[in-house]
Amino acid sequence: MLSRVADSVFWLGRNVERAETVARVLDVNYTRAIDPYAQQSGRFEALWRSVMRCAGFVDEPKFGPAKKIASECFEFCAFDRDNGSSILSSVRVARANALGIRAELTTEVWEVVNVLYLYIEGKDLRAVLREGPTTFLRRVRDTMQAFAGITDATLTHGDVWNFLQVGRFLERAYMTARIVDALDVEDEPWHESQRLLEMCCASVPFAQASHHTPEARDAIGFMSLAADFPRSLRFCVREVDAAMHRISRAPMGTFANAAERRVGRLCALLNYTPVDEIFAGGVHAFATSLVLELELLGSEIEDAYFPRLPIVAMLDA
Amino acid sequence: MLQLQPHIAVARQYDELYRANGEPRAEYAALAATLARLGRDEILDRVAAINTALLQRGVTFTVYADSAGTERVFPFDVIPRILRHDEWSRIDRGIAQRVRAINAFVHDVYHAERILREKRIPRELVYSSKHYNREMIDVDVAHDIYIHVSGIDLIRNERGEFLVLEDNCRTPSGISYVLENRDVLKRGFPDLFRDYAVCPVDDYPSRLLDVLRFVAPRGDATPMVVVLTPGIYNSAYFEHTLLARRMGVELVEGRDLLVVDNVVFLKTTRGLERVDVIYRRTDDDYLDPLYFLPDSSLGVPGLMNAYRAGNVTIANAIGTGVGDDKSVYRYVPEMIRFYLDEEPLLENVPTFDCNDDTQRRHVLANLDKLVVKNTNASGGYGMLMGPFASRMERESFAVMIEATPRDFIAQPVVELSSSPTLVDGEMHARRVDLRPFALYGREVDVPPAALTRVALREGSLVVNSSQGGGSKDTWVLQGDGTC
Repeated sequence: MLSRVADSVFWLGRNVERAETVARVLDVNYTRAIDPYAQQSGRFEALWRSVMRCAGFVDEPKFGPAKKIASECFEFCAFDRDNGSSILSSVRVARANALGIRAELTTEVWEVVNVLYLYIEGKDLRAVLREGPTTFLRRVRDTMQAFAGITDATLTHGDVWNFLQVGRFLERAYMTARIVDALDVEDEPWHESQRLLEMCCASVPFAQASHHTPEARDAIGFMSLAADFPRSLRFCVREVDAAMHRISRAPMGTFANAAERRVGRLCALLNYTPVDEIFAGGVHAFATSLVLELELLGSEIEDAYFPRLPIVAMLDA
Repeated sequence: MLQLQPHIAVARQYDELYRANGEPRAEYAALAATLARLGRDEILDRVAAINTALLQRGVTFTVYADSAGTERVFPFDVIPRILRHDEWSRIDRGIAQRVRAINAFVHDVYHAERILREKRIPRELVYSSKHYNREMIDVDVAHDIYIHVSGIDLIRNERGEFLVLEDNCRTPSGISYVLENRDVLKRGFPDLFRDYAVCPVDDYPSRLLDVLRFVAPRGDATPMVVVLTPGIYNSAYFEHTLLARRMGVELVEGRDLLVVDNVVFLKTTRGLERVDVIYRRTDDDYLDPLYFLPDSSLGVPGLMNAYRAGNVTIANAIGTGVGDDKSVYRYVPEMIRFYLDEEPLLENVPTFDCNDDTQRRHVLANLDKLVVKNTNASGGYGMLMGPFASRMERESFAVMIEATPRDFIAQPVVELSSSPTLVDGEMHARRVDLRPFALYGREVDVPPAALTRVALREGSLVVNSSQGGGSKDTWVLQGDGTC
């Protein structure tokens, strides 16, 4: 496939995943923020601060009056043009990428992206807040989940699909790591653990797997190391590894480029690290290092398949 | 029930659906009956559903004058235009004849120049054509085919005869609307098709692919064919994606291609892959910055050398614009006699050449009765509709004609035929043209997939999408079970 197409497919996958996650994080926290525990002073700000961090805000946010925090935060995460991780930006980028590779996509795949784009472009912040953000957020979340199903069901599972998988699961791992990183499990461990699980749509799968109420250690262990849950870091990284090996056709367990070497190492880490070790070293240190590793992995994938200065490299190959 | 405005029946122009006495023509009778049975509300509901579907699919075009590069749905009118089999076969033969002659002309002007030496066409007319390309002299192209894809614009005069208004031999667009219109009409109004045997249009992409494979430079059984697009901001980008997708070939931009040692390659995730045929949807000027526009970022450096070395086929060939130059148009009947030794099956619209002193004086004296066209423009840009223009517009054209007469031709206003069209929920007569497409491979193939464009503005005779035009599904009826 064309390098340019691989590039666009990769970012299409990433941005769809990001929009879905940000929508879910916002939706969960709107509900959580109503609970009495969140109403205590300091905690309300802390909750929304963590949402901002999930959605790509790096600095310490400065909030206005308390009653406006939720809507400020919603605006930043959903409609801010300058925030590359906002829902609006993600959907725009996803659509722009899809447009550039329309010939590679099925009508169904293109339409699901285009319809959401037209929906969001037709919305404005005030109207969405007035009717309550849930309708809007669910629409985004549902459409993006439908995207996953439609791509699986209508695209040939060849390289386009493989690059889509790489983008999708890399972004999902990245978002999960950011969500874990944004938690404050020292304070209110039960609520924070429940919030974590809901933001990763894991509360029922977790309950089924663990048969007891969540404690921070179990919830973080589950989101990091669960073998079969499709949003755990371990699962996502393994999917990236598998898709990359389908693309390079290198045997599993070996590597054809720097990106495959890094993803293999991450797989081993998540396959074999005991949860106690994560806690011994500190949850934040663990999450932060994963965020960094995944960023490096992203740029190594770019170097391997769609380098910005491709001609010399390609002639040598 | 939808009723046509009564004044249409007595209008001057030929109406596609109604006879002068207000009765539907025989081939339209069943259609008119079905529309009447459906009723206005039902029709309008279905039209709304169709328009939503077109927007969601992104069947849009970009209007250049619009700074934001706005995407708009190309307006689609649900009342189809029907062509009887006998009408179509005359068109089919006429178009094929015309394309063969223009192709022979293009080959001739870049080789022996017989038609110029025998003074059947003025030499300076060819050499002064903006699209005459010296780089093509003595370059041999595969099978001597230059015009692989063409769209010939026809109009219908007051007597119902088809005339050629314009030849498009570079990168004619519109076939995607033909394919999409049929698809949405079949979904939205399946009942309309019940009484008719309509030739299918959806094999166009495979017929096109046959042509592109046939002209590959190497005797390869499965040559690598690509569609070259200027990118997502081009007005016909949707069409480029549709054709690439339906043919199952890569849609590439200039930056996806690389020329090494006069061979064209594709930059892929597995390295470089050799390209044999480029169906380009860009103008000549944007193909190779080394030969043409040096500051174009759309082109592929070295492509022209690879082409001249015979390592890649470019369709349409470079330099075909000399064949569809608006000043050359009036000599096409002459080309048909000269190269084919046949009489033209389709007539031209009478055309005045502003470069000729006598004719120019006539044009300038009659600007209020004529249509003036810039020979280098297309898409309905740069033209004067004399009878409808303001005094100032006419005067500014007069100045331009005096300054660069070679750039202008003039034609009498032809009353285009009309066809009932839904406008604001009512049926109105609107003017239409017809663009059949011709594919030139082993022979000239004219698929029964023609585009009917309709001028949606009342009284307008300009059907271009950039000038408020829309389109209709065009039905070519089967004759004896064949198309």
